[in-house]
Amino acid sequence: MAKDPAGDAVNAILAVEGLNKRFGGLHAVKNVSFAVGPGTITGVLGPNGAGKTTVFNLLTGFISADSGTIEFDGQKLDRLVPHQIVNCGLARTFQLARPFLGMSVLENVEVACLAPRVRHEGKPRLRAQTLLDQVGLGGKSEFLVDVLPYGDLRRLEIARALATRPKLLLLDEPFAGLGSNEIKPLADLIRSLHRAERLTILIIEHKLREFMQLVAEVIAMDFGEVVAVGSPSMIVRHPRVVEAYIGNVELDPSTLPGPDGRNGAA
Amino acid sequence: MIQILVYGAVISAIYAMLAVGFTLIFGVARILNLAHGSFYALGAYTVYALTAEAQLPLWLAAILAVLLVALFGIMIERVLVRPLRRRSMLAVLLITLAVALMVEQVLLLIFGSEARNVPSFVNTAYHFLGVDVSGQRLLALAAGILVLGGLWLFMQHTKLGAAILAISQDAEAAQYMGIPSDRMYSLVMGLSAGIAAAAGVLVAPFQTVIPGMGLLPLVKAFAIVVVGGLGSIPGSIVGALLLGYTETIIAFKISIEWSQIVSVAAVLITLILRPAGFFGKRAAF
Amino acid sequence: MGGPIRHIDWLGALAALVVLAVGPWFSGSSYVIGVLTVALCFGIWAASWDFMSGLTGRENFGHSLFIGAGAYTAGFLNVKFGLSPYWSLIAGPLVAVVFGIGMGYPTLRLRGPYFALAMLSAAAVMQSLTIIFSEYTGGQDGLNGLDPMLDSTLAYYYLTLFFLVLTAVILKLLANSSWGTLLRAIRGDEASCQAAGINVTFYKIASLMISAAFAGLGGVLYAHYQLQVGPDLFAVVLSINIIIMVYVGGMGSIYGPIGGAILLNVLTEAFRGFSEYRLWVYTLVLMFIIYFMPQGLIAPLWRKIRLVMR
Repeated sequence: MAKDPAGDAVNAILAVEGLNKRFGGLHAVKNVSFAVGPGTITGVLGPNGAGKTTVFNLLTGFISADSGTIEFDGQKLDRLVPHQIVNCGLARTFQLARPFLGMSVLENVEVACLAPRVRHEGKPRLRAQTLLDQVGLGGKSEFLVDVLPYGDLRRLEIARALATRPKLLLLDEPFAGLGSNEIKPLADLIRSLHRAERLTILIIEHKLREFMQLVAEVIAMDFGEVVAVGSPSMIVRHPRVVEAYIGNVELDPSTLPGPDGRNGAA
Repeated sequence: MIQILVYGAVISAIYAMLAVGFTLIFGVARILNLAHGSFYALGAYTVYALTAEAQLPLWLAAILAVLLVALFGIMIERVLVRPLRRRSMLAVLLITLAVALMVEQVLLLIFGSEARNVPSFVNTAYHFLGVDVSGQRLLALAAGILVLGGLWLFMQHTKLGAAILAISQDAEAAQYMGIPSDRMYSLVMGLSAGIAAAAGVLVAPFQTVIPGMGLLPLVKAFAIVVVGGLGSIPGSIVGALLLGYTETIIAFKISIEWSQIVSVAAVLITLILRPAGFFGKRAAF
Repeated sequence: MGGPIRHIDWLGALAALVVLAVGPWFSGSSYVIGVLTVALCFGIWAASWDFMSGLTGRENFGHSLFIGAGAYTAGFLNVKFGLSPYWSLIAGPLVAVVFGIGMGYPTLRLRGPYFALAMLSAAAVMQSLTIIFSEYTGGQDGLNGLDPMLDSTLAYYYLTLFFLVLTAVILKLLANSSWGTLLRAIRGDEASCQAAGINVTFYKIASLMISAAFAGLGGVLYAHYQLQVGPDLFAVVLSINIIIMVYVGGMGSIYGPIGGAILLNVLTEAFRGFSEYRLWVYTLVLMFIIYFMPQGLIAPLWRKIRLVMR
C-alpha cells in the first residue's frame, strides 16, 4: 500500500514538478513536487499559510504558476482554465462553501450535471437527485440553498464535484467549521465514496485526528515547501512537522495509526 | 493658450467638487447617487430664490443654500435610502433616480423652464496675463480650491474625518469600533450634497440655470470618478483635472461636440483597461 | 424564478395575446394602435434585457446600444442604400450582435456596477459619435423617410405583435431550459460555475449576443414604425426606462417585463392629459413599487392568480 511518493511518478495520476508561485514579495509556493497514485486517499497537511490552498488553486487552474509542470492523467494542465480542467476529470471543493444562492439544492448539483464532460448522459435532474441521495441530502433537494446549514453545504459541494465524474477529487478543508458530531459522518462519506467510486482523493486539512485516520499518505507542507512525505504515523513523528505544529497539535497517539498502519485504538 | 489654462482650471475645480462628493458617498456607503446632479441644481436654484425672492444678501444666500441642500441630502439618506440599503443596490440606485426626477419636476413647476439669472459675486472682469477672465470664474476657482483643501484638512485632522475613512475601508469593522455607520452615512451624504451645492452656487452666475442643469454634471462626475477610481478622493481630483483640461483643449482646438465625447469615452476606456481606475478602491485619501 | 412552464401559463399568455390582438382592431383608433405598437417594441426590449441581465444579474445599463444599432442599420439600408425594409429584419439583429460581441469580450471580467457603467458609456459614446459624424448619420436630426413595411398601421401592429410573441416564446423557453439554469448559476457564483465545469465566458457572451439580437430586432421594428431614426435611440434615458419596466414587471420572468413595458407605456400615454403632473405620478408609482414590491408587480401578480386558479 505504501508507495514511494517522489519516485513513483510513472504510475501517478497526478504528478507535480517544481511548482512555484509568488504573490508580490511572498513566495507562496516554493518548488513543490509530489506525485499521487491512482485510487489513493492522500492528505496535504500544514499550518495556515503553508501554501496548501494555493497549490489547489494552481492545480485547478484558478491561478497560474510562475514555473513548474502539472501532469494529470497523462495531460499537461499548464495552460488550461478551470472549467477545462474540470472536464479533464479533476474536480474540487472550496474551503468556504460557495453555493449558487437563490437556487434550490437540486439545481445546484444540476448545474454540474450540465458540464460538457457528463452532459451526454442526459437527465440532469435525475442524476442530480441520485448524487444528492449519495451524499445524504436526498430529502432536501427542493430546499433553497440559502437555508442549508454549514455541514450540509459541505456535502452539497461534494455532490457537485462528483457530478462531473472526476478521476481525482480535491477536497479543501472539508472538516473546517464542522461540529464534532458532523465530522465523523462526513469522514465516513468520504471513505465510502472512495471505496465505491475508486476515486483518487487529495484532502487539505489541519484537523489532525480525522484526517490521519482517513488518508493513506501525507504530504506535509510548511512555508510553501514540501517538508515531508510519508504515512500518517511517520509524518506525525517527523521533526519538521512537529516543529511547524508546536502549540497547535491535537494529537492523541492512541487514536493514530501505529507503525503497522493500523489504528491504535478502537 | 492662457485662456485654456485658466478656463481649464475653473472647469476642473468645479468638476473636482462634483466628483469628490460623488466618490465620497460611494466610497463610504456604496451608493451610486443619481441625485447628485440634483444637489448641484438645487444649490443654484436656492441661491437664486434666496436673492431674487427673499432679497437676502448674496453671501448669506450662498451659505444658506449650501446648508439647506446639505440638510436635504441628509434627509434623503435617512428617509428614503436607509430602508432600502439592505434590499439591493439597484433599488437604492432607482430611488436616487426617482429623487432626481422629482427634483427636476419640482423645479420645473416652481420656476418654469426659462433660465434664471443669478447675480455674480464679483462683477468685475480681470485682465489676467493678457486674457480677460470674469471675476466670478476666478472666484469659483479659488473657492473650489478652498473647499477641497478644507475637506482634506477635515479628513486628515479630525476624529470625524478619521471615522469616515474607517467606514470607507471596512464598514463592519468600523461598527465594531463603535462608529455608528448609519448616522455616518447620513452625514457623508450631507457633506457630499453640500459640496455639490457649493459648486452649483459658484457657477450659477455664469451657467444656464434650468431645471435640467444637473444631468450633464452628473455624467461628468461619474466619468471622473470611474477614471480616478470609485471611492478615491485623490483619484477624483486628478481625474477632474484630466477631464477638465482635455475638454477645454478639445473644445478650443477642435469642436464643442468632440469635447463632449471625452467624458464617456474616458469611462469606456478606463473600464476596459483598468476597471478599478487609476487609484483604485483602496486609497480613500 | 417560478419553475417550469405549466399549462396555466400558456393559457394566461394566450389570454394576454388575445387581448393584445383584438383590442386595437376593436378600437380602430390609429392613436391607440400607434401607442401599442411602441409598447410592443418596448416589450421586446424589456424581454431581451431580462434574458441576459435578469438571469445573470449583470445589469446592462447600455441596452440602447443594441437598439440604436438595429435602428440605424434599418435607416442606412433603407434610406441610404434603398433596400427593402425586410432586409433589415435580418441585418439589424446581426449588426446588434456584432456590437454585443464587441462589448462582451472587453467587459467579461467586470462585475456589477462596473459592467453597468461600461455598457452605459458605450451607448453614450455611440450617441456622441452619431452626432459628430453627421454627414453620414444625419446628426441630431438623424435619418428620415424610412419606408413603411406594410401599408396599414394595423397590419404593422400585427407584424410587431408576431415578433414580440416570437421573442417571448424563444426567450422564455431558453430561460426555462438548461440555459436558464446556467445563467442563474453564473449569478450565484462564477467561480463555482467554473469548478462545476461550465464555460462561463461562453455563456456570458452568448447571452449578451442573444439579448442584443432581439433588442436590435426591436430597434428595426421601431424604426420602421416611426419612419425615422435619431441619436436618441442610443440615449441612456432609454436604457434606464427599459430597466424600470423590467423592475416593475419582475426581473427574471421574461413575461413580467413585457407586461411592465406595456403597462408603463399605456400609463404614460394615459397620463398625457395631466401634462406636467405626468412625471410626478410616474415617479411616485416607481417609488411605491421600489419600496413595497421588490419582486415587481406583474410577475408576482401572475403567480398569485395562478395559485388561485389551481
